[in-house]
Amino acid sequence: MGTDFKSNDELSRVVAKIQGGVLAVVCGLMGGLGLFFMTAWLLLEGGPKVGSHLQLLSNYFIGYSVTWKGSLVGLFYGALTGGILGWAIGFIYNRVVGIRGR
Amino acid sequence: MASHPVVVIGAGPAGLTAAYELGKNSSSSLILEAGKQVGGISQTVNYRDFRFDIGGHRFFSKMPMVTELWHEILGDNFLLRPRISRIHYNQHFFDYPLKATNALAGLGVVEALLVCFSYAKVKVFPNAQEENFEQWVINRFGYRLYQIFFKTYTEKVWGISCTEISADWAAQRIKNLSLKEAVRNALLGQRGGKKGEIVTSLIEQFHYPRLGPGMMWERCEELVAGFGSQTLKAMKVEHIRHRHGRVDCVSARASSGEHFEFEGSDFVSTMPLRELIEAMDPQPPDKVMEAALGLRYRDYLTVVLVVNCEDVFPDNWIYIHSPEVKMGRIQNYKNWSPYMVPDPSRTSLGLEYFLWDKDDEWTWSNERLIEFGTRECAQLGLIRPGEVEDGTVVRMEKAYPVYDHHYQDHVRTIRQYLETFSNLQTIGRNGLHRYNNQDHSMVTGVYAARNIMGESHHDVWAVNTEKAYHEEDRTTSGNGGDRMVPLPVQVKVDELPIEEEEEIIEVVFAKLDPVAMGVAVGTISGLLILIGTVILVLKGGPVVGPNLSLLGNFLFGFQVTWGGSLVGFLEGGLGGFAIGYSGASLRNWSMTAYAKFLRWREEVNHRRNLLD
Repeated sequence: MGTDFKSNDELSRVVAKIQGGVLAVVCGLMGGLGLFFMTAWLLLEGGPKVGSHLQLLSNYFIGYSVTWKGSLVGLFYGALTGGILGWAIGFIYNRVVGIRGR
Repeated sequence: MASHPVVVIGAGPAGLTAAYELGKNSSSSLILEAGKQVGGISQTVNYRDFRFDIGGHRFFSKMPMVTELWHEILGDNFLLRPRISRIHYNQHFFDYPLKATNALAGLGVVEALLVCFSYAKVKVFPNAQEENFEQWVINRFGYRLYQIFFKTYTEKVWGISCTEISADWAAQRIKNLSLKEAVRNALLGQRGGKKGEIVTSLIEQFHYPRLGPGMMWERCEELVAGFGSQTLKAMKVEHIRHRHGRVDCVSARASSGEHFEFEGSDFVSTMPLRELIEAMDPQPPDKVMEAALGLRYRDYLTVVLVVNCEDVFPDNWIYIHSPEVKMGRIQNYKNWSPYMVPDPSRTSLGLEYFLWDKDDEWTWSNERLIEFGTRECAQLGLIRPGEVEDGTVVRMEKAYPVYDHHYQDHVRTIRQYLETFSNLQTIGRNGLHRYNNQDHSMVTGVYAARNIMGESHHDVWAVNTEKAYHEEDRTTSGNGGDRMVPLPVQVKVDELPIEEEEEIIEVVFAKLDPVAMGVAVGTISGLLILIGTVILVLKGGPVVGPNLSLLGNFLFGFQVTWGGSLVGFLEGGLGGFAIGYSGASLRNWSMTAYAKFLRWREEVNHRRNLLD
């Protein structure tokens, strides 16, 4: 006894595929809200030089700053970047799974 | 000579279910029952309106087909009863199924420590072999728990040493679960249903016919008669005449001594295999005869005491492990169903003795057995002898097929011989020499009937061996209720098909491909660093990218330059690959670990019910 099931002891023989659209939405929400709340947090903390490091993101996100207006700009950029990254990860993952499964 | 399409030998659960299934499909049958009552070991005996059950039959099944049949036959005559059972050992009662804290508290500090040490020892140094019951149990519970909770009772039941009992017996009752089964049982088996149904724990409560299990089979007999079938009682089959690989007729003797012969086109037997082989005419080859004679059966005797006491103990039954008494188990029938006693101020107890028919006690007079049982009950402190008002004795031959080390070889030989007959099937506990419960026996009856009706071939020998026959059942919600306020039961059968559940599990537990995830995360990471670096280089300035260049602490050779962007792409890609690969592997490993935990938990639960 104890051996009959072990040869077939697998939960699933299926390799998961990622739904790029869903991952894009999830990553977009995380990116957008993440940047929004990080910015807002620093603003609420206050101080002589508010968010000098986070400010560096303006190198990539034109119009972003550690201000209340900038937090909304960050929300947009974060969501956009997160969405693209999520979709891209899903797309590449599925393509590689497809190639390896041939 | 009477002729019938199908002759069924035995009116127990298997035989009657076969006849019922045939009847539903417009095929009548003749049922020959050696006893005076239908139901076999599942009959309800009536003694001065005190009803008792031979051995106690909980009605729960993991097979939806059986649950449907029960309710089809008996309608809403079921009660939902709470289960209470304990073990009596060394003047103590222990909860059964075993609970660690209760067991250790009852054993005392010193014994509890020894139990823990012995358990730890076997976990570190388990028995390499698991051929017999003793080795099987010790490997799971340790030597001391085996000695206290399994050895004495098991040896009382089977009458042989635990080392002589095949590990099959335990293994059959505690089936290994695949990961998928464990997950399905734990997750899908416990979800809320569409209308708020929940899975009732069939360990803690069970269904029971209002007037005992015999009510089911008496009703089934009536239904079968309605289909045009006939049940002849006190008709013992003595010969099964056959030629050219077909059974022609059976010869039976009535209680009056008169002989009858019955022809048929198909024959279904629930007779013990040993008796069946001995009844074959002409006789089978010597090898088959020897195999049949090698099969052993444990006999069983119940001493019923009517006690002038309203509430003797709260349990449905108590296992008596204490070696100082011969009694193996004691039933309190009114706790199974309050309708089992005619007067609520009285209690009827069933004292169960497991014997060989050659044991002295088997031939003792009823009076002597009642006196003996009363004395043992008093010795255990359960009753006072003066409270016993009345009593009776029921003997049940060949109640348990014995799983010794040779039974499998014997059964294989007999099965090969029986398979040479095109119109004979054997079913039921004794017909297959398998420790089947009532539900398994019923399934063999259904399959035998379907084989006769020409449906695809069902292997009756596979019942209670294959996991496929152990699908989870779900019932509608119901409060177990107070023990003396039984609830009628409704059974829900329109649950999600097992195939759909399997598909759900396949999807939910689908594995992430670590390489693909590594490539995806690696590519994106590399590109992010490349693009981030290129943007800063293009922007220029007196000091280009002072903050991003800090990545050089982690990425060897990285700078915010055109060349550095390629280094960042490469090394960031490799780092991303490692993160993606590890993340996917960790997620797969966690899912498997979770499933293994669910399986371990379920197996532990199963083991706790080993005595049932």
